[in-house]
Amino acid sequence: MKAKRFFAKAYIWLLLIVLYAPIVFIVVFSFTEAKSLGNWTGFSTQLYQNLFNGSMQNSSGLLSAVKNTLLIALAASVVATILGTIAAIGIYHLHGRKRGVMTFLNNIPMINPDIITGVSLFLLFVFLGISQGYLTVILAHITFCTPYVVLNVMPKLRQMNPNIYEAALDLGATPAQALRKVLVPALRPGMVSGFILSFTMSLDDFAVTFFTRGTIGLDTLSTYIYADARKGGLTPELKPLMSILFLVILIVLLVINIRQSKQLSSIEKK
Amino acid sequence: MKKFLILAALSAVLLSCSGNRDQVLKVYNWSDYIDESVLPEFEAWYKAQTGEDIKVVYQTFDVNETMLSKIEKGHEDYDVVCPSDYIIERMLNEGLILPLDFASIPDEINYIAHNRSPFMHQMFREINPSIDANDYSVPYMWGTSGIIYNTEKVTAEEAGTWDIIRNPKFAGQILIKDAPRDVYGPVLIYLKQKELKEGKVTLQELMHDSSDASLAAVESYLKEVKPGVLGWEADFGKDQMTKGRGVVSLNWSGDAVWAIEEAAEVGVSLDYIVPEEGSNVWFDGWVIPKYAKNVKAATYFIDFMCRPDIAIRNMDGTGYVSANGAIEVLESQIDEEYEAIDLSYFFGADADSVHVNPVLYPDKAVIDRCALEHDWGKDTDKLLAMWSRVKGDNASSMTYIILALALAAVLAAVIVSKSSKKRRHRKSRR
Amino acid sequence: MNKRSTWALPYFIFLVLFVVLPLVMIVIYALQDGSGHFTLQNITKFFTDKDALSTFALSIEVAIENTLLCILLGYPAAYILADNKLNKSAVTVVLFILPMWINALMRTLATAELFNMAGVPLGKGTLLFGMCYDYLPFMIYPIYNQLKKMDKSYAEAAQDLGATPGQVFRKVTLPLSMPGVWSGVMMVFMPTVSTFAISEFLTNNKIKLFGTIIQENINNSMWNYGAALSLIMLLIIGITTVLQGNDQQEETSGGLI
Repeated sequence: MKAKRFFAKAYIWLLLIVLYAPIVFIVVFSFTEAKSLGNWTGFSTQLYQNLFNGSMQNSSGLLSAVKNTLLIALAASVVATILGTIAAIGIYHLHGRKRGVMTFLNNIPMINPDIITGVSLFLLFVFLGISQGYLTVILAHITFCTPYVVLNVMPKLRQMNPNIYEAALDLGATPAQALRKVLVPALRPGMVSGFILSFTMSLDDFAVTFFTRGTIGLDTLSTYIYADARKGGLTPELKPLMSILFLVILIVLLVINIRQSKQLSSIEKK
Repeated sequence: MKKFLILAALSAVLLSCSGNRDQVLKVYNWSDYIDESVLPEFEAWYKAQTGEDIKVVYQTFDVNETMLSKIEKGHEDYDVVCPSDYIIERMLNEGLILPLDFASIPDEINYIAHNRSPFMHQMFREINPSIDANDYSVPYMWGTSGIIYNTEKVTAEEAGTWDIIRNPKFAGQILIKDAPRDVYGPVLIYLKQKELKEGKVTLQELMHDSSDASLAAVESYLKEVKPGVLGWEADFGKDQMTKGRGVVSLNWSGDAVWAIEEAAEVGVSLDYIVPEEGSNVWFDGWVIPKYAKNVKAATYFIDFMCRPDIAIRNMDGTGYVSANGAIEVLESQIDEEYEAIDLSYFFGADADSVHVNPVLYPDKAVIDRCALEHDWGKDTDKLLAMWSRVKGDNASSMTYIILALALAAVLAAVIVSKSSKKRRHRKSRR
Repeated sequence: MNKRSTWALPYFIFLVLFVVLPLVMIVIYALQDGSGHFTLQNITKFFTDKDALSTFALSIEVAIENTLLCILLGYPAAYILADNKLNKSAVTVVLFILPMWINALMRTLATAELFNMAGVPLGKGTLLFGMCYDYLPFMIYPIYNQLKKMDKSYAEAAQDLGATPGQVFRKVTLPLSMPGVWSGVMMVFMPTVSTFAISEFLTNNKIKLFGTIIQENINNSMWNYGAALSLIMLLIIGITTVLQGNDQQEETSGGLI
């Protein structure tokens, strides 16, 4: 058993080391002023200083790009999770051709290359005369995020005892109560995964955002970076920015982890 | 949860109303292509000149064609945009840009008129023989195409010919831009160098040449080049050069300046040369698209960009070369470290012997063998098809074996599941 | 029971608006030439273009290999993470998705640099590495969720009836986790066919995938052909996965209670 534990832990650690190698690489090279990633011109924290003292070109643009990215990702993921969970429950109870149609439609945003999703939504918004900006970008993100929620909630539906919803209704719960107190707890792991994966997809998206953002000067981190890469190489201050973002998320995770294990051990003690 | 959603929706609506459109100027440009500090200065200058408030909304794009498509199909209301030469040509031909009303700018501040470079003026005339592009656009930055090379591994002689991309000595260390337009021109010039020298064909004619014969010639040349190519650079080839991984790169002069500087910081010595057979000139220019809503501020903005001190700041801030012909710009680039070259074509007769970095401003002799490459327009798909034939065909026989196996596995799974269903069905019936 | 199927209605309306209508736009573009006339030439162009066909085949091959690789690496990871005795932290699984929150361009660039520094030549191998890197969390999550809340009584019953651990896994755990595996397969296979950015960086742009062709066409204002290509891919892949999916779902829902 001990050997099994050792190999299991080693496997996970190995995977994580490989996954994090590029991230560590970026963090390490954020401490040098070289513009090209991988060139080392001596240790320096100048880039970090540039980020905060405003001597970096377009630092306000970068900051607003970060804010937009988070706002859009959060909004889209929340809506996608709600929409996708309800949809998954509905699709699960469909049969035959109707189910096939819904499944096919649900898969389309995942099969289509981002640029086609972006182009097609752009054409739709132009055709409908909708002025493009935050709203259209968020709608577009919801479109490609929801399928991930559906795909993560469906397996949980299959695993769940199908009768608990009816049982709750029989015991006097309203459908809304049954949903909240019975279905959601059973489906929560799927909903959480769906939310996390949606958030991830939205953070990284470039093509869809580019085509649906209109002319109000809306930039996300992705559109900022992709445009930046075209002329003159990546702005080197992006390295410290990424490092800081990463560190913040890591710390948040650690805090959650510590609090959770404290809760667990206090339960065990009881 | 609900409250958050309502807030989010409200803020989305609020954010998309930008107030009075007359007080907003939407600028659409490449990234890292301007000194951002000039934008608030423009806002102040505009207020001083016209008494009106203005707010600049600055947006960046990364690909010409998608920028154009969005304007064309979506009627996007950017006021002033900075496309590349061939897109200006396309926009001009398709009536997508407005003529510039220079007369609306008082003469004392009419920098556009006073700071034209004769060379750029000539280049713009060549865009369209029947419409003078100078009436529709003002140049911003310019440069040439050439070879960036590692001076320790490659001599200037070797780099001085386009054929270096086929040179077996550097096989596996050659980087070529993944831009069919920018590779086609130089290769065609190389292939036709004999005809050029004998005067049988002019450079201008070659730059308009999209004939099937020429395409085929370029294609077979490129197929010979392909085995020695390290990579088809899209964004990061110049990085590879600074790390010494590539020693030859077909690239633009603007990127060359960046690469040479960055390489110097890590001890790699790079240089840039325009091969002797000839090359093309590129430029980006400001235009006002048809759907602009603030033409007045746009015109003033373009004018402001032509003010010599602003042009110099944009040059220094970005590393690219301004297309401004003012003598102040020339003076800011004088560096005794370099040999004297003839820049009279650009700055006028007084500039026939000045000490300037030739990577920034090529000598007259180099420019004489350069021309503007034209938009392929409807023939773009021929060019793309040729390009993908050169780069492409990567599926090996292994691919088809794997696909056949996968298909077989899927069919097997379907058959197995159907037959086990029948068995179960039969069992449950008993 | 049937009433709950109406819960799919809101999403159906959403899909019609934001997926079907845009799809109609794509179909219109695919069936037009540059001047707006109806034509089938975009579709025939694909089927007669040896290069495009072989790139499509290659993309499918890479997608299959990537999916298999993700299952091979991801299933054990999900199993270990879901096992209470082997992993006591609920947060470890989030560590697997965290790298994805660093912008893809920078991340892939850093990966390419690491390979370059280690002297590994960029090509098919590095491409698959990069693909698996990006898609592994999408395989791990659904499998992890299935395994974590799996009813232990089935496994215990099988053991009581004399099954070895290997048999328990093969006959009980694995089949019960299939819905999760299937979701993972969907979330990995389908997007891989249309990915392109990874191949640009991790093969020095020498291996071209189908997504690259579509991207190139759109980036050169050839929206008609690009639309046609994506439509063809959608039909081929979409129909295949739906047929497979319906089969899968009937199989598992019929097999259990």
